[in-house]
Amino acid sequence: MSLLEDVQEFVREANRIVEIKDLQTLLEGTVRELGFDYFALVHHVNIYQTSGEVVYLFDFPPAWAELVDRKGYFTDDPVHVACQKSAAPFTWADVPQLITLTTRQAEMLQAAKSAGLGGGFTVPIHIPGEYTGSCTFSTRAGREIPQAALPAAHYVGSFAFEAARRVVQRVAAQRGTRNKTVAQPKLTRRQLDCVVLAGRGKSDKDVAQILGISGQTVHQHMEDAKRKYDVATRMQLIVRALFDSQLAFADLVN
Amino acid sequence: MVDVVTANNRHKFNGMVDAMHADRKRIFVDSLKWDIPVVDGKYEIDQFDNADAVYLLALDGKKETHLGSVRLLPSSKPHLLGDVFPMLCDNGVPRGDDIWEITRLCTAPQLRGREAWLARSYLAVGMVEFALLYGISKYTCVAETSWLSSIMAVGWECEPLGLPKEINGETVGALIINISPATLQLFRMKMGWRLPVLELDAIAKAA
Repeated sequence: MSLLEDVQEFVREANRIVEIKDLQTLLEGTVRELGFDYFALVHHVNIYQTSGEVVYLFDFPPAWAELVDRKGYFTDDPVHVACQKSAAPFTWADVPQLITLTTRQAEMLQAAKSAGLGGGFTVPIHIPGEYTGSCTFSTRAGREIPQAALPAAHYVGSFAFEAARRVVQRVAAQRGTRNKTVAQPKLTRRQLDCVVLAGRGKSDKDVAQILGISGQTVHQHMEDAKRKYDVATRMQLIVRALFDSQLAFADLVN
Repeated sequence: MVDVVTANNRHKFNGMVDAMHADRKRIFVDSLKWDIPVVDGKYEIDQFDNADAVYLLALDGKKETHLGSVRLLPSSKPHLLGDVFPMLCDNGVPRGDDIWEITRLCTAPQLRGREAWLARSYLAVGMVEFALLYGISKYTCVAETSWLSSIMAVGWECEPLGLPKEINGETVGALIINISPATLQLFRMKMGWRLPVLELDAIAKAA
């Protein structure tokens, strides 16, 4: 089968899936057809603290999974942090260009190699109003990632994540654990402008200059926005507003 | 809510069609820096803005402000995928009376966050209603691949027509989207809407 046929076949099968374990099996097969050995399809959340509609599927060497757990690597996984900086997929070799690695993060990438992982290719998944997620394919140590299959892997990753989302949402709906729609605080245009610019890393002074208003007004807008969301810090405000789809990821990255 | 503009009735919407082209210029040329023609320094118009094009316009209540729009073209006539991007289809460009192409989907640049999302939602539901009314069973489109997840999260049932390719510095792929009554049911349920968004008394027969 050509690579496109692999993808099309995957899409057709994924559309029929009802149980998450069937998606796991389907992915294990497709991943190998593409020339990879392992995969992880996850929302970037602390799996122990988050319930509800969370995607968490993976097939990695048990030694690696155990190490990630024991060291708590999931809290600052450099691949997940890099996903915040990129809408496009990237390889693990690209990660040091996307983010400045902390010592622990550099150590984690090294530990991955020691645990039997070779290279990796990650497809970030950004859907407004939802947790960030990713689909990562990797090879075992000593094997290069299949360059020719990366465009196909990009698609498989996106379609796989969508299939997982739908299963997880359906299950949550059946169990009655669907995230109840909380009345979303509505930010005014100006408040939103300030939050977007703050999300891009601008200080109040910069925001004031860009918007042509006083620093005091900017501060007031941020305080009002924080109060609407009942949060204490700007970072929490940005995250919550992103989560509510008032900000699209594109707003922050562009 | 959403008006349907064709060659037959566009004289009733001239101001809004102009506003659409002006916003398209702001978005596709000024922001996204696409290399596409601009007329009079103000309007983004290309060879597919022709008599066969059908536009869905999301307008404000007074029909004085362009909130968003999309251009639909029959695949049996000249269209972007068939004429400009056929290389994105690995097994030939899909053509048929029941297959139309979606292009130039945009929301007005002054809309932010929730307002833009609402305008897009009106257009999405409008596209499904239009498809069901006109006997369209599939839409094709070309999309930047990083948007695929968001497109599918809306509820569109997509299949790839080819593997993603890099064109003019962007990675894009051709998709085909299946439309059925179930699609309309799903979208209405997600939005909590019961009634059509298309302004039916304004529909003119497409050529």
